[in-house]
Amino acid sequence: MFFIPGPVIAALTFPGVIVHEAGHLFFCRLFKLQVFDVCFFRFGNPAGYVIHQQTEDFKAQFFVSMGPFFANTLLCIVFCTAAFLPVWELKVFDPLAYFFYWLGLSIGMHAFPSTTDLSHLWAQAPELAKKGNLLAIVSLPLAALLVVLNYARVVWADLGYGIAVGVLGPIVIFRALAR
Amino acid sequence: MPLISKSICSRCNTYIGSSSDAVQIGGLRFCATCGPLIKDWDYPQWLKVSLVALLLLLVVDLAHGRKYFHAGREMYVGERLVATGHYADALPHLQETIRIAPASDKAVLLAVKAAVLSGDVPSAAKALQGHNDGYFEDANKPEFQEVNSLWKRATAALEKAEQAGKLAEQDGKEIEAARLMHEAASAYPEMPALALAAESADAGVAFARKDYDTFLIISEKQWKRQVMSQTAGVLSSALACKYAVTGEASYKQRSEEMLQKARQLAEGNAEAAKDLEEYAERIRYRLDTRQIISKTEYDRKFRSKKTASK
Repeated sequence: MFFIPGPVIAALTFPGVIVHEAGHLFFCRLFKLQVFDVCFFRFGNPAGYVIHQQTEDFKAQFFVSMGPFFANTLLCIVFCTAAFLPVWELKVFDPLAYFFYWLGLSIGMHAFPSTTDLSHLWAQAPELAKKGNLLAIVSLPLAALLVVLNYARVVWADLGYGIAVGVLGPIVIFRALAR
Repeated sequence: MPLISKSICSRCNTYIGSSSDAVQIGGLRFCATCGPLIKDWDYPQWLKVSLVALLLLLVVDLAHGRKYFHAGREMYVGERLVATGHYADALPHLQETIRIAPASDKAVLLAVKAAVLSGDVPSAAKALQGHNDGYFEDANKPEFQEVNSLWKRATAALEKAEQAGKLAEQDGKEIEAARLMHEAASAYPEMPALALAAESADAGVAFARKDYDTFLIISEKQWKRQVMSQTAGVLSSALACKYAVTGEASYKQRSEEMLQKARQLAEGNAEAAKDLEEYAERIRYRLDTRQIISKTEYDRKFRSKKTASK
Protein backbone atom coordinates (compact mmCIF):
# COMPACT_ATOMS: atom_id res chain seq x y z
CA MET A 1 0.00 0.00 0.00
CA PHE A 2 1.37 3.41 -0.86
CA PHE A 3 0.61 6.74 0.74
CA ILE A 4 -0.55 9.75 -1.24
CA PRO A 5 -1.38 12.89 0.77
CA GLY A 6 -5.12 13.64 1.02
CA PRO A 7 -4.90 17.09 -0.63
CA VAL A 8 -3.20 15.53 -3.65
CA ILE A 9 -5.94 12.93 -4.00
CA ALA A 10 -8.59 15.62 -3.52
CA ALA A 11 -6.93 17.78 -6.18
CA LEU A 12 -6.78 14.88 -8.63
CA THR A 13 -10.42 14.05 -8.02
CA PHE A 14 -11.76 17.55 -7.31
CA PRO A 15 -15.00 17.12 -9.35
CA GLY A 16 -16.10 14.49 -6.83
CA VAL A 17 -15.58 16.87 -3.91
CA ILE A 18 -17.58 19.60 -5.66
CA VAL A 19 -20.43 17.23 -6.55
CA HIS A 20 -20.50 15.88 -2.97
CA GLU A 21 -20.80 19.35 -1.43
CA ALA A 22 -23.28 20.45 -4.09
CA GLY A 23 -25.36 17.42 -3.05
CA HIS A 24 -25.35 18.53 0.58
CA LEU A 25 -26.35 22.03 -0.47
CA PHE A 26 -29.10 20.73 -2.74
CA PHE A 27 -30.71 18.68 0.04
CA CYS A 28 -30.31 21.50 2.59
CA ARG A 29 -32.22 23.77 0.21
CA LEU A 30 -34.76 21.07 -0.55
CA PHE A 31 -35.53 20.59 3.15
CA LYS A 32 -35.25 24.33 3.84
CA LEU A 33 -32.35 24.06 6.28
CA GLN A 34 -30.34 27.21 6.83
CA VAL A 35 -26.87 27.03 5.34
CA PHE A 36 -24.17 28.86 7.25
CA ASP A 37 -21.18 28.26 5.06
CA VAL A 38 -20.21 26.35 1.94
CA CYS A 39 -16.82 25.42 0.59
CA PHE A 40 -16.92 23.43 -2.64
CA PHE A 41 -13.21 22.77 -2.76
CA ARG A 42 -10.05 23.72 -0.92
CA PHE A 43 -6.59 22.30 -0.30
CA GLY A 44 -7.18 21.17 3.27
CA ASN A 45 -8.99 18.71 5.43
CA PRO A 46 -11.84 18.41 4.74
CA ALA A 47 -11.50 19.30 1.08
CA GLY A 48 -15.03 20.72 1.09
CA TYR A 49 -17.88 21.27 3.53
CA VAL A 50 -21.39 22.60 4.01
CA ILE A 51 -22.22 23.93 7.46
CA HIS A 52 -25.93 23.94 7.98
CA GLN A 53 -28.64 24.18 10.56
CA GLN A 54 -29.28 21.11 12.67
CA THR A 55 -32.67 19.53 12.35
CA GLU A 56 -34.86 17.20 14.35
CA ASP A 57 -36.53 15.99 11.14
CA PHE A 58 -34.91 12.59 10.52
CA LYS A 59 -35.96 12.50 6.88
CA ALA A 60 -34.20 15.81 6.25
CA GLN A 61 -31.16 14.64 8.22
CA PHE A 62 -31.07 11.37 6.27
CA PHE A 63 -31.15 13.02 2.88
CA VAL A 64 -28.73 15.80 3.76
CA SER A 65 -26.25 13.22 5.11
CA MET A 66 -26.81 10.42 2.61
CA GLY A 67 -27.98 12.40 -0.42
CA PRO A 68 -24.46 12.97 -1.76
CA PHE A 69 -23.74 9.24 -1.39
CA PHE A 70 -26.65 8.37 -3.69
CA ALA A 71 -26.08 11.32 -6.04
CA ASN A 72 -22.35 10.64 -6.42
CA THR A 73 -22.99 6.93 -6.96
CA LEU A 74 -25.61 7.66 -9.61
CA LEU A 75 -23.45 10.21 -11.43
CA CYS A 76 -20.48 7.84 -11.27
CA ILE A 77 -22.57 5.18 -13.01
CA VAL A 78 -23.84 7.67 -15.62
CA PHE A 79 -20.42 9.04 -16.57
CA CYS A 80 -18.67 5.68 -16.40
CA THR A 81 -21.42 4.08 -18.48
CA ALA A 82 -20.78 6.63 -21.21
CA ALA A 83 -17.10 5.67 -21.19
CA PHE A 84 -17.09 2.03 -20.09
CA LEU A 85 -17.29 0.32 -23.47
CA PRO A 86 -14.45 2.11 -25.29
CA VAL A 87 -12.19 2.12 -22.21
CA TRP A 88 -12.72 -1.34 -20.70
CA GLU A 89 -14.32 -3.66 -23.19
CA LEU A 90 -13.48 -2.42 -26.67
CA LYS A 91 -10.00 -0.99 -26.01
CA VAL A 92 -10.61 1.93 -28.31
CA PHE A 93 -8.48 5.02 -27.74
CA ASP A 94 -11.01 7.80 -27.27
CA PRO A 95 -9.79 10.80 -25.19
CA LEU A 96 -13.34 11.92 -24.41
CA ALA A 97 -14.13 8.49 -23.03
CA TYR A 98 -11.05 8.60 -20.79
CA PHE A 99 -12.06 12.07 -19.59
CA PHE A 100 -15.51 10.77 -18.65
CA TYR A 101 -14.05 7.76 -16.92
CA TRP A 102 -11.81 10.00 -14.82
CA LEU A 103 -14.81 12.21 -14.06
CA GLY A 104 -17.00 9.26 -13.15
CA LEU A 105 -14.37 7.66 -10.92
CA SER A 106 -13.60 11.00 -9.24
CA ILE A 107 -17.27 11.43 -8.41
CA GLY A 108 -17.67 7.83 -7.28
CA MET A 109 -14.60 8.09 -5.07
CA HIS A 110 -16.17 10.93 -3.09
CA ALA A 111 -19.52 9.23 -2.57
CA PHE A 112 -18.92 8.22 1.05
CA PRO A 113 -20.53 10.55 3.59
CA SER A 114 -18.07 11.95 6.15
CA THR A 115 -18.00 10.53 9.66
CA THR A 116 -19.57 13.82 10.80
CA ASP A 117 -22.50 13.28 8.41
CA LEU A 118 -22.88 9.72 9.63
CA SER A 119 -22.61 10.66 13.30
CA HIS A 120 -25.68 12.92 12.93
CA LEU A 121 -27.63 10.01 11.51
CA TRP A 122 -26.26 7.57 14.03
CA ALA A 123 -27.40 9.80 16.88
CA GLN A 124 -31.05 9.75 15.83
CA ALA A 125 -31.50 6.47 13.97
CA PRO A 126 -31.55 3.84 16.79
CA GLU A 127 -34.30 5.59 18.76
CA LEU A 128 -36.45 6.09 15.66
CA ALA A 129 -35.77 2.57 14.42
CA LYS A 130 -37.21 1.22 17.66
CA LYS A 131 -40.35 3.21 16.90
CA GLY A 132 -40.57 1.54 13.49
CA ASN A 133 -39.34 4.42 11.34
CA LEU A 134 -38.54 2.68 8.07
CA LEU A 135 -35.93 5.19 6.96
CA ALA A 136 -34.16 4.86 10.31
CA ILE A 137 -34.25 1.05 10.04
CA VAL A 138 -32.71 1.23 6.56
CA SER A 139 -30.16 3.84 7.55
CA LEU A 140 -28.74 1.82 10.46
CA PRO A 141 -26.96 -0.96 8.53
CA LEU A 142 -26.12 1.45 5.72
CA ALA A 143 -24.55 3.94 8.08
CA ALA A 144 -22.69 1.16 9.89
CA LEU A 145 -21.27 -0.10 6.62
CA LEU A 146 -20.32 3.38 5.52
CA VAL A 147 -18.57 4.08 8.83
CA VAL A 148 -16.43 0.98 8.26
CA LEU A 149 -15.74 1.96 4.65
CA ASN A 150 -14.89 5.47 5.76
CA TYR A 151 -12.18 4.14 8.05
CA ALA A 152 -11.05 1.82 5.25
CA ARG A 153 -10.22 4.89 3.15
CA VAL A 154 -6.64 4.46 4.34
CA VAL A 155 -6.56 1.29 2.23
CA TRP A 156 -8.21 3.01 -0.73
CA ALA A 157 -11.77 1.81 -0.04
CA ASP A 158 -13.10 5.01 -1.63
CA LEU A 159 -11.19 4.36 -4.86
CA GLY A 160 -12.27 0.71 -4.70
CA TYR A 161 -15.88 1.79 -4.36
CA GLY A 162 -15.55 4.18 -7.31
CA ILE A 163 -14.03 1.49 -9.51
CA ALA A 164 -16.56 -1.12 -8.39
CA VAL A 165 -19.49 1.18 -9.16
CA GLY A 166 -17.88 2.49 -12.36
CA VAL A 167 -17.25 -1.00 -13.70
CA LEU A 168 -20.03 -3.15 -12.26
CA GLY A 169 -22.73 -0.53 -12.86
CA PRO A 170 -22.17 -0.32 -16.62
CA ILE A 171 -21.73 -4.12 -16.88
CA VAL A 172 -25.13 -4.66 -15.24
CA ILE A 173 -26.72 -2.00 -17.46
CA PHE A 174 -25.26 -3.30 -20.72
CA ARG A 175 -25.98 -6.94 -19.95
CA ALA A 176 -29.57 -6.04 -19.16
CA LEU A 177 -29.83 -4.06 -22.41
CA ALA A 178 -28.34 -6.93 -24.43
CA ARG A 179 -31.15 -9.30 -23.41
CA MET B 1 -23.55 22.96 14.46
CA PRO B 2 -26.39 23.83 16.88
CA LEU B 3 -26.15 27.44 17.96
CA ILE B 4 -28.87 28.04 20.44
CA SER B 5 -27.91 31.37 21.98
CA LYS B 6 -30.02 34.07 20.42
CA SER B 7 -27.55 36.77 21.52
CA ILE B 8 -24.84 35.68 19.13
CA CYS B 9 -24.88 35.30 15.36
CA SER B 10 -25.69 31.71 14.43
CA ARG B 11 -23.09 31.82 11.69
CA CYS B 12 -20.08 33.85 12.86
CA ASN B 13 -20.73 33.94 16.64
CA THR B 14 -20.53 37.77 16.76
CA TYR B 15 -22.40 39.21 19.74
CA ILE B 16 -25.60 40.80 18.45
CA GLY B 17 -27.59 41.14 21.69
CA SER B 18 -30.77 43.03 20.85
CA SER B 19 -29.26 44.85 17.85
CA SER B 20 -31.89 46.09 15.43
CA ASP B 21 -29.66 45.13 12.47
CA ALA B 22 -29.88 41.47 13.41
CA VAL B 23 -31.84 39.24 11.02
CA GLN B 24 -34.20 36.53 12.23
CA ILE B 25 -34.50 33.52 9.87
CA GLY B 26 -36.62 30.66 11.08
CA GLY B 27 -35.67 30.16 14.70
CA LEU B 28 -32.16 31.53 14.26
CA ARG B 29 -30.65 35.03 14.57
CA PHE B 30 -27.78 36.37 12.47
CA CYS B 31 -25.72 39.55 12.39
CA ALA B 32 -26.28 42.09 9.59
CA THR B 33 -23.32 40.72 7.58
CA CYS B 34 -24.27 37.05 7.75
CA GLY B 35 -28.04 37.51 7.38
CA PRO B 36 -28.12 38.14 3.61
CA LEU B 37 -25.67 35.28 3.04
CA ILE B 38 -27.94 32.89 4.87
CA LYS B 39 -30.92 34.01 2.87
CA ASP B 40 -29.28 33.83 -0.55
CA TRP B 41 -26.98 30.84 -0.35
CA ASP B 42 -27.55 29.94 -3.95
CA TYR B 43 -25.53 27.66 -6.22
CA PRO B 44 -22.58 29.66 -7.55
CA GLN B 45 -22.67 30.69 -11.18
CA TRP B 46 -19.56 28.68 -12.06
CA LEU B 47 -21.21 25.54 -10.66
CA LYS B 48 -24.31 26.03 -12.79
CA VAL B 49 -22.23 26.76 -15.89
CA SER B 50 -20.00 23.72 -15.23
CA LEU B 51 -23.03 21.49 -14.78
CA VAL B 52 -24.59 22.66 -18.04
CA ALA B 53 -21.27 22.29 -19.89
CA LEU B 54 -20.80 18.82 -18.48
CA LEU B 55 -24.29 17.72 -19.47
CA LEU B 56 -23.74 19.06 -22.98
CA LEU B 57 -20.45 17.19 -23.17
CA LEU B 58 -22.22 14.05 -21.97
CA VAL B 59 -24.83 14.40 -24.70
CA VAL B 60 -22.07 14.88 -27.29
CA ASP B 61 -20.22 11.87 -25.91
CA LEU B 62 -23.32 9.69 -25.94
CA ALA B 63 -24.01 10.68 -29.56
CA HIS B 64 -20.36 10.15 -30.51
CA GLY B 65 -20.31 6.85 -28.62
CA ARG B 66 -23.36 5.36 -30.34
CA LYS B 67 -21.13 3.09 -32.40
CA TYR B 68 -19.52 1.83 -29.18
CA PHE B 69 -22.91 1.09 -27.66
CA HIS B 70 -23.80 -0.82 -30.81
CA ALA B 71 -20.49 -2.72 -30.71
CA GLY B 72 -20.90 -3.43 -27.00
CA ARG B 73 -24.44 -4.65 -27.40
CA GLU B 74 -23.39 -6.98 -30.22
CA MET B 75 -20.55 -8.30 -28.04
CA TYR B 76 -22.82 -9.05 -25.08
CA VAL B 77 -25.37 -10.75 -27.35
CA GLY B 78 -22.53 -12.78 -28.88
CA GLU B 79 -21.13 -13.60 -25.45
CA ARG B 80 -24.51 -14.89 -24.29
CA LEU B 81 -24.90 -17.01 -27.42
CA VAL B 82 -21.39 -18.45 -26.96
CA ALA B 83 -22.21 -19.24 -23.32
CA THR B 84 -25.30 -21.18 -24.43
CA GLY B 85 -23.39 -23.05 -27.15
CA HIS B 86 -24.93 -21.22 -30.16
CA TYR B 87 -21.54 -20.58 -31.75
CA ALA B 88 -22.62 -20.10 -35.38
CA ASP B 89 -25.33 -17.64 -34.30
CA ALA B 90 -22.87 -15.74 -32.10
CA LEU B 91 -20.25 -15.24 -34.81
CA PRO B 92 -21.95 -12.47 -36.88
CA HIS B 93 -22.58 -10.45 -33.70
CA LEU B 94 -18.97 -10.74 -32.60
CA GLN B 95 -17.70 -9.95 -36.10
CA GLU B 96 -19.72 -6.74 -35.98
CA THR B 97 -18.02 -5.82 -32.68
CA ILE B 98 -14.60 -6.53 -34.14
CA ARG B 99 -15.36 -4.35 -37.16
CA ILE B 100 -15.65 -1.37 -34.79
CA ALA B 101 -13.13 -2.45 -32.16
CA PRO B 102 -10.53 -4.82 -33.65
CA ALA B 103 -8.22 -4.33 -30.65
CA SER B 104 -10.73 -5.66 -28.11
CA ASP B 105 -9.20 -8.79 -26.55
CA LYS B 106 -12.53 -9.95 -25.23
CA ALA B 107 -14.43 -9.57 -28.52
CA VAL B 108 -11.68 -11.19 -30.57
CA LEU B 109 -11.27 -14.13 -28.18
CA LEU B 110 -15.03 -14.70 -28.18
CA ALA B 111 -15.16 -14.45 -31.98
CA VAL B 112 -12.28 -16.91 -32.42
CA LYS B 113 -13.94 -19.31 -29.98
CA ALA B 114 -17.30 -19.01 -31.78
CA ALA B 115 -15.66 -19.43 -35.19
CA VAL B 116 -13.52 -22.43 -34.21
CA LEU B 117 -16.38 -24.17 -32.44
CA SER B 118 -18.67 -23.68 -35.43
CA GLY B 119 -16.04 -25.08 -37.78
CA ASP B 120 -15.28 -21.73 -39.43
CA VAL B 121 -11.49 -21.57 -39.20
CA PRO B 122 -11.04 -18.84 -41.90
CA SER B 123 -13.18 -16.43 -39.84
CA ALA B 124 -11.17 -17.27 -36.72
CA ALA B 125 -7.91 -16.63 -38.59
CA LYS B 126 -9.22 -13.30 -39.91
CA ALA B 127 -10.21 -12.16 -36.41
CA LEU B 128 -6.80 -13.10 -35.05
CA GLN B 129 -4.86 -11.39 -37.83
CA GLY B 130 -6.84 -8.18 -37.32
CA HIS B 131 -5.90 -8.15 -33.62
CA ASN B 132 -2.24 -7.09 -33.51
CA ASP B 133 -1.44 -10.17 -35.62
CA GLY B 134 -2.70 -12.44 -32.89
CA TYR B 135 -0.92 -10.73 -29.98
CA PHE B 136 -2.90 -10.50 -26.71
CA GLU B 137 -2.22 -8.44 -23.59
CA ASP B 138 -2.40 -11.27 -21.06
CA ALA B 139 -1.48 -14.77 -22.17
CA ASN B 140 -2.25 -16.15 -18.70
CA LYS B 141 -5.91 -15.26 -18.88
CA PRO B 142 -8.09 -18.41 -18.83
CA GLU B 143 -10.09 -17.04 -21.80
CA PHE B 144 -6.89 -16.75 -23.83
CA GLN B 145 -5.68 -20.18 -22.76
CA GLU B 146 -8.98 -21.77 -23.75
CA VAL B 147 -9.04 -20.12 -27.18
CA ASN B 148 -5.36 -20.86 -27.73
CA SER B 149 -5.92 -24.55 -27.09
CA LEU B 150 -9.00 -24.59 -29.36
CA TRP B 151 -7.04 -22.83 -32.11
CA LYS B 152 -4.12 -25.26 -31.83
CA ARG B 153 -6.48 -28.24 -31.95
CA ALA B 154 -8.26 -26.90 -35.06
CA THR B 155 -5.08 -25.95 -36.95
CA ALA B 156 -3.41 -29.27 -36.12
CA ALA B 157 -6.46 -31.10 -37.47
CA LEU B 158 -6.44 -28.99 -40.64
CA GLU B 159 -2.74 -29.64 -41.18
CA LYS B 160 -3.43 -33.37 -40.87
CA ALA B 161 -6.32 -33.07 -43.32
CA GLU B 162 -4.10 -31.22 -45.78
CA GLN B 163 -1.49 -33.96 -45.48
CA ALA B 164 -4.22 -36.56 -46.04
CA GLY B 165 -5.40 -34.69 -49.12
CA LYS B 166 -1.91 -34.80 -50.63
CA LEU B 167 -1.58 -38.53 -49.89
CA ALA B 168 -4.98 -39.25 -51.44
CA GLU B 169 -3.71 -37.94 -54.75
CA GLN B 170 -0.99 -40.62 -54.81
CA ASP B 171 -1.73 -44.20 -55.91
CA GLY B 172 -1.37 -46.76 -53.13
CA LYS B 173 -1.56 -44.16 -50.34
CA GLU B 174 -5.34 -44.26 -49.97
CA ILE B 175 -5.37 -46.18 -46.68
CA GLU B 176 -2.88 -43.87 -45.02
CA ALA B 177 -4.79 -40.86 -46.35
CA ALA B 178 -8.06 -42.20 -44.92
CA ARG B 179 -6.44 -42.87 -41.53
CA LEU B 180 -5.09 -39.33 -41.33
CA MET B 181 -8.37 -37.82 -42.46
CA HIS B 182 -10.27 -39.80 -39.80
CA GLU B 183 -7.79 -38.59 -37.18
CA ALA B 184 -8.34 -35.00 -38.35
CA ALA B 185 -12.12 -35.44 -38.28
CA SER B 186 -12.14 -36.86 -34.76
CA ALA B 187 -9.70 -34.19 -33.50
CA TYR B 188 -11.95 -31.45 -34.85
CA PRO B 189 -15.52 -32.78 -34.92
CA GLU B 190 -16.93 -29.23 -34.98
CA MET B 191 -15.98 -29.02 -38.67
CA PRO B 192 -18.44 -31.28 -40.58
CA ALA B 193 -16.41 -30.91 -43.79
CA LEU B 194 -13.66 -33.03 -42.20
CA ALA B 195 -16.08 -35.89 -41.47
CA LEU B 196 -17.27 -35.67 -45.06
CA ALA B 197 -13.67 -35.69 -46.27
CA ALA B 198 -12.97 -38.74 -44.10
CA GLU B 199 -15.91 -40.50 -45.70
CA SER B 200 -14.59 -39.51 -49.13
CA ALA B 201 -11.23 -40.95 -48.15
CA ASP B 202 -13.03 -44.20 -47.25
CA ALA B 203 -14.59 -44.09 -50.70
CA GLY B 204 -11.07 -43.69 -52.10
CA VAL B 205 -9.95 -46.77 -50.18
CA ALA B 206 -12.93 -48.76 -51.49
CA PHE B 207 -12.08 -47.67 -55.04
CA ALA B 208 -8.44 -48.69 -54.60
CA ARG B 209 -9.54 -52.09 -53.28
CA LYS B 210 -11.92 -52.45 -56.22
CA ASP B 211 -14.79 -52.71 -53.69
CA TYR B 212 -17.23 -50.79 -55.89
CA ASP B 213 -20.29 -51.75 -53.82
CA THR B 214 -18.86 -49.96 -50.79
CA PHE B 215 -17.76 -47.09 -53.03
CA LEU B 216 -21.37 -46.78 -54.26
CA ILE B 217 -22.89 -47.00 -50.76
CA ILE B 218 -20.62 -44.26 -49.42
CA SER B 219 -21.13 -41.96 -52.39
CA GLU B 220 -24.93 -42.41 -52.30
CA LYS B 221 -24.91 -41.58 -48.59
CA GLN B 222 -22.85 -38.45 -49.21
CA TRP B 223 -25.09 -37.34 -52.06
CA LYS B 224 -28.20 -37.72 -49.87
CA ARG B 225 -26.57 -35.76 -47.08
CA GLN B 226 -25.12 -32.97 -49.18
CA VAL B 227 -26.46 -32.05 -52.60
CA MET B 228 -23.52 -30.45 -54.38
CA SER B 229 -21.53 -30.79 -57.57
CA GLN B 230 -18.74 -32.74 -55.87
CA THR B 231 -20.99 -35.40 -54.27
CA ALA B 232 -22.94 -35.77 -57.55
CA GLY B 233 -19.64 -36.31 -59.39
CA VAL B 234 -18.43 -38.95 -56.91
CA LEU B 235 -21.75 -40.80 -57.16
CA SER B 236 -21.51 -40.66 -60.96
CA SER B 237 -17.98 -42.10 -60.67
CA ALA B 238 -19.17 -44.98 -58.43
CA LEU B 239 -22.07 -45.78 -60.79
CA ALA B 240 -19.63 -45.76 -63.72
CA CYS B 241 -17.47 -48.29 -61.85
CA LYS B 242 -20.49 -50.53 -61.28
CA TYR B 243 -21.34 -50.26 -65.02
CA ALA B 244 -17.77 -51.11 -65.95
CA VAL B 245 -17.80 -54.32 -63.89
CA THR B 246 -21.41 -55.44 -64.48
CA GLY B 247 -22.26 -53.99 -67.89
CA GLU B 248 -25.77 -53.12 -66.63
CA ALA B 249 -27.16 -50.24 -68.68
CA SER B 250 -29.11 -48.83 -65.71
CA TYR B 251 -25.81 -47.98 -63.96
CA LYS B 252 -24.59 -46.20 -67.10
CA GLN B 253 -27.82 -44.23 -67.37
CA ARG B 254 -27.76 -43.19 -63.72
CA SER B 255 -24.08 -42.30 -63.94
CA GLU B 256 -24.77 -39.99 -66.90
CA GLU B 257 -27.71 -38.42 -65.06
CA MET B 258 -25.56 -37.72 -62.02
CA LEU B 259 -22.84 -36.24 -64.20
CA GLN B 260 -25.44 -33.92 -65.71
CA LYS B 261 -26.60 -32.95 -62.22
CA ALA B 262 -23.00 -32.27 -61.19
CA ARG B 263 -22.65 -29.92 -64.18
CA GLN B 264 -25.85 -28.06 -63.24
CA LEU B 265 -24.75 -27.71 -59.63
CA ALA B 266 -21.31 -26.44 -60.64
CA GLU B 267 -22.77 -23.58 -62.68
CA GLY B 268 -21.59 -20.26 -61.32
CA ASN B 269 -18.88 -21.89 -59.21
CA ALA B 270 -15.59 -21.68 -61.13
CA GLU B 271 -13.67 -23.94 -58.75
CA ALA B 272 -16.33 -26.68 -58.73
CA ALA B 273 -16.61 -26.44 -62.54
CA LYS B 274 -12.84 -26.86 -62.92
CA ASP B 275 -12.80 -29.93 -60.62
CA LEU B 276 -15.77 -31.41 -62.45
CA GLU B 277 -14.11 -31.07 -65.85
CA GLU B 278 -11.11 -32.98 -64.53
CA TYR B 279 -13.00 -36.07 -63.34
CA ALA B 280 -15.89 -35.87 -65.86
CA GLU B 281 -13.36 -36.76 -68.55
CA ARG B 282 -12.31 -39.87 -66.64
CA ILE B 283 -15.91 -40.93 -65.91
CA ARG B 284 -16.70 -40.53 -69.60
CA TYR B 285 -13.72 -42.75 -70.46
CA ARG B 286 -14.92 -45.36 -67.93
CA LEU B 287 -18.44 -45.38 -69.39
CA ASP B 288 -17.15 -45.58 -72.98
CA THR B 289 -14.52 -48.28 -72.47
CA ARG B 290 -15.72 -50.09 -69.29
CA GLN B 291 -12.15 -49.84 -68.07
CA ILE B 292 -11.40 -48.58 -64.55
CA ILE B 293 -8.05 -46.87 -64.23
CA SER B 294 -6.67 -44.56 -61.52
CA LYS B 295 -6.19 -40.85 -62.05
CA THR B 296 -2.40 -41.25 -62.20
CA GLU B 297 -2.72 -43.87 -64.88
CA TYR B 298 -5.22 -41.81 -66.83
CA ASP B 299 -3.00 -38.73 -66.59
CA ARG B 300 -0.01 -40.77 -67.77
CA LYS B 301 -1.96 -42.27 -70.69
CA PHE B 302 -3.82 -39.23 -71.98
CA ARG B 303 -2.98 -35.97 -70.28
CA SER B 304 0.81 -36.10 -70.51
CA LYS B 305 0.43 -36.63 -74.29
CA LYS B 306 -1.89 -33.63 -74.52
CA THR B 307 0.65 -31.49 -72.70
CA ALA B 308 3.47 -32.79 -74.85
CA SER B 309 1.57 -32.11 -78.08
CA LYS B 310 1.00 -28.45 -77.12
